[in-house]
Amino acid sequence: MNDPRQSTLMSDAETPSPLPYTDTKPVGHADFYFATNATFRFIQRNHGEEALKKYWRDIGTSYYRPVALQWAEQGMHGVADYWRAFFQAEPGAEVEVIESGDEVRLEVKHCPAIHHLRDHGRAIVPNFCQHCFYVNEAIAEPAGLTVRNCGGNGTCTQRFIKRTADAAPQNLEDIATAS
Amino acid sequence: MIGCYDFCGHYEWTFEWLRTQGGHDLVRAYWDEAIHQDSQLHASKLIEAKGIEGMKEYWGPTLADEGAVYERTVTDDVFRIDMHECPSKGFLLRNGLNQYTDYCDHCMGWIGPLMQKAGFVINHEHNHCGQCWWEMRRAADATPPSQPGKLAGKGDVRLRPDWKSPHTDHYARATDPDDKTTV
Repeated sequence: MNDPRQSTLMSDAETPSPLPYTDTKPVGHADFYFATNATFRFIQRNHGEEALKKYWRDIGTSYYRPVALQWAEQGMHGVADYWRAFFQAEPGAEVEVIESGDEVRLEVKHCPAIHHLRDHGRAIVPNFCQHCFYVNEAIAEPAGLTVRNCGGNGTCTQRFIKRTADAAPQNLEDIATAS
Repeated sequence: MIGCYDFCGHYEWTFEWLRTQGGHDLVRAYWDEAIHQDSQLHASKLIEAKGIEGMKEYWGPTLADEGAVYERTVTDDVFRIDMHECPSKGFLLRNGLNQYTDYCDHCMGWIGPLMQKAGFVINHEHNHCGQCWWEMRRAADATPPSQPGKLAGKGDVRLRPDWKSPHTDHYARATDPDDKTTV
């Protein structure tokens, strides 16, 4: 695959956006969550859970590579900036981004995807919330960071911390089944 | 998290990922099973139940929410869209994203099987630059596609000076994403 562009686009005439890909609309179209959920279901049904995890890792290392480069260059401040801009563009998201010197913590109070899928009676892929761990971990690793998630199914905590040898691995049982 | 703001970017990336995993057949199956039958089941239900009226109900709000610049022409026999600024392809062009061979094929990939099931056929052409036109007619209706400007008037996308640049892909009475010819 080609490398996605790595330059930072401008969200307006003056301010560069922390998001690598920008649109003319300020907020995305929530029905696209239907397609994301359906994509996970299609890959898992046809090729199994490991293929779905590979998809999540691959999209993190390839499509989101500009984000990893930004985090590597800007450190925790870049991580926090990215997530603030990200959730500002997701319809219905309520997320607090808490930045400290050695950690960025996302307190997701209202996950826009889970709630939109649920509000429209869509069958949510049970391991939907694991995608946040696998995708974000694939983005974080080349930036020298790692991710630990807890909760899910509408509310969760996601911690972005320095990658160290003694960090306990993510326990997937800490990530809730979605419904 | 995979968000909806840049959906068209990772959607297009996913086509190429699927192609590398399982070839063209897997991409076709994805458009039909995941998009037509799962993601867009609300569109399927509307159009199968109400035909052209269902197309109006589906594409009206959807294209508005996506930020499309388009013209719609509807009679009792045909549902026509002239897309002047496709929000989806426009996003890819502005962001320099071009992983898959022809992103525009995805529309026929999911709308084609939907229309076949609902009893319609499609005349369609896209120019890979964010412009396209569609005419949906009942499968039993042998009326050929309209000539430029005859049905949609000045809103006909084929009247744009940049329409033919650089080339177009054309579908005639089709419901299959592979039934295209390049003009």
